Amino acid sequence: MYRSQTLALKYFSAAITLFGVMTITGLISAYYYLNPDFLLGILPFNIAKILHINTLVMWLLMGFMGSIYWFLPAELGRETAGIWAAEILFYVFCAAVAVVAVVFIFIQYGGSNEAALWFINQGRKYVEAPRWAALGIVVIMVVFAYNVIGTAIAARKTTGIITVLMIDLIPLILLYLIAFPAISNMSADLFWWWWLVHLWVEATWEVLIGCIMALALMQLLGTSRRIVETWLYIEVALVLGTGILGLGHHYFWIGTPNYWLTIGGFFSALEPLPLLGMVVHAVYDAGAQHMKTTNRPAFYWMMAEAFGNFIGAGVWGFMITLPQINLYAHGTQWTVSHGHFAFWGAYSCGVISVLYLVLQKTRNLAFVDGPLWKWSFAALNLGLVGMTGALLVSGFVQAFVERAIGGSTLNAFISGQENAWFVDGMVARFLLALVFTAGYVVLVWDVLTLGRRAPAVAAVAPAQ
Amino acid sequence: MSGLATLETGLLLGLYALLAGIWGVLWGLAQFRQTQICGRSAAAAYGLHVLAALTIILWTPLGFGWKSLIVGSSLVFLAIPPMTWRLLQHTHQKEGSEHDRQPSQYSSRIVARL
Repeated sequence: MYRSQTLALKYFSAAITLFGVMTITGLISAYYYLNPDFLLGILPFNIAKILHINTLVMWLLMGFMGSIYWFLPAELGRETAGIWAAEILFYVFCAAVAVVAVVFIFIQYGGSNEAALWFINQGRKYVEAPRWAALGIVVIMVVFAYNVIGTAIAARKTTGIITVLMIDLIPLILLYLIAFPAISNMSADLFWWWWLVHLWVEATWEVLIGCIMALALMQLLGTSRRIVETWLYIEVALVLGTGILGLGHHYFWIGTPNYWLTIGGFFSALEPLPLLGMVVHAVYDAGAQHMKTTNRPAFYWMMAEAFGNFIGAGVWGFMITLPQINLYAHGTQWTVSHGHFAFWGAYSCGVISVLYLVLQKTRNLAFVDGPLWKWSFAALNLGLVGMTGALLVSGFVQAFVERAIGGSTLNAFISGQENAWFVDGMVARFLLALVFTAGYVVLVWDVLTLGRRAPAVAAVAPAQ
Repeated sequence: MSGLATLETGLLLGLYALLAGIWGVLWGLAQFRQTQICGRSAAAAYGLHVLAALTIILWTPLGFGWKSLIVGSSLVFLAIPPMTWRLLQHTHQKEGSEHDRQPSQYSSRIVARL
């Protein structure tokens, strides 16, 4: 096994751990809606929410990096360039995440000064990590880019997938630099901040997961390189074509000119079109393989990715993307419902799929199956879909009672929060979050014991 | 737009996109199964999608431009499954050839220049 692949295993371990932290902090955040006095004076809601969202970003990022470190040496036929730096930075990354989490939990707030920006919280949603940690993330991403590009140069070859990946890493790093400036004008600040948030999630990350899925498909289904590369180019063109100007749907109510209403609505309404193509592709692959594969969990999680992406990002996004609807749905639980489903479908399922592929290689399993992955697959997906359904109901109440009828006053906000449908939605969300958590526990158990508890699986040749 | 119209329009838009997805899945299944039930189910799903589009056009307070976008999207949704399928069949025709599994020579030259 290459050192790069050993590093990949560490990244996957860290990713799954952070997935757990994300789940627990999500559960706590959900419980605040049922009992607002919970952890009063100890851990406020906003800190739990910061931890929930930031660990989501970090576990997916670590999952992506683990996937690339796993596939890269096999793809280019040599050890990853600068692997020693990547190995050191993995521990730095983990330590930085732990320190930032401790600061968020125990210090929580700082003053309105530079020191607070540097050491406590940058105060920008989704990228709250203090500036020293954000700088650390830039260093880690630069070294990661060097690992990929340097390996291609050292190997004196590349592939279509690696070329797309190398190009993608440049905006991935540059866009993160937007996390740093402290712009005092809120409209200008949000204008640029959305470049980071939207163009990471709906452009660079989409391309990154596209590359990872292309590499995984070759390994999982033996699909030829020409096919996956052709589809990767088509997907990248369509996703970027609709996704870049789809940025406009975040510019609706932040003080930007009116033409963004048309641009944002139009381009984001086109976003489900390429996603339908991906669903048809998934049906084709499933039919061509007769649903037969040597790694059933990886295959099913990959299918879940295609369908979840269409429903979460496409269907749920389409409901709220036109400005007329978004005027009322913006910032309600309706949006939260879309966010949960879209992240799950677009990214989380893909990372879990790759994790099972990696386990098959590292544990020398000829065939991966069994009851545990089915339980975790069912509980995680049922929990997630149930949560998004419950959040949708609560979001409808907010959009209707609080926004459309009440006019977004404080009284209307209280009316919305006290509405029986909103409260029931929040209770249902918490209960289904428990189902999701159970699914996570089973997933971890399966990952830890796969190949060690089933004597029926046959050993195959050692992994590369 | 009134509160009720917001909810109705949002739900209709979601249903519209969901039915497009169901149409795509059933159309794909119909290609494998070649049974009447699959073909008819796919046609029914697209019919329901058109019904959702018509409801949006006739019943919601969206402007002319947005309604035109809905009509245009429905036409594209109709074309995506067969187009994707043909392209998939075309790309899979030569699957398995030895040359196919080699990295692209063109991209190798780019890195050599670097």
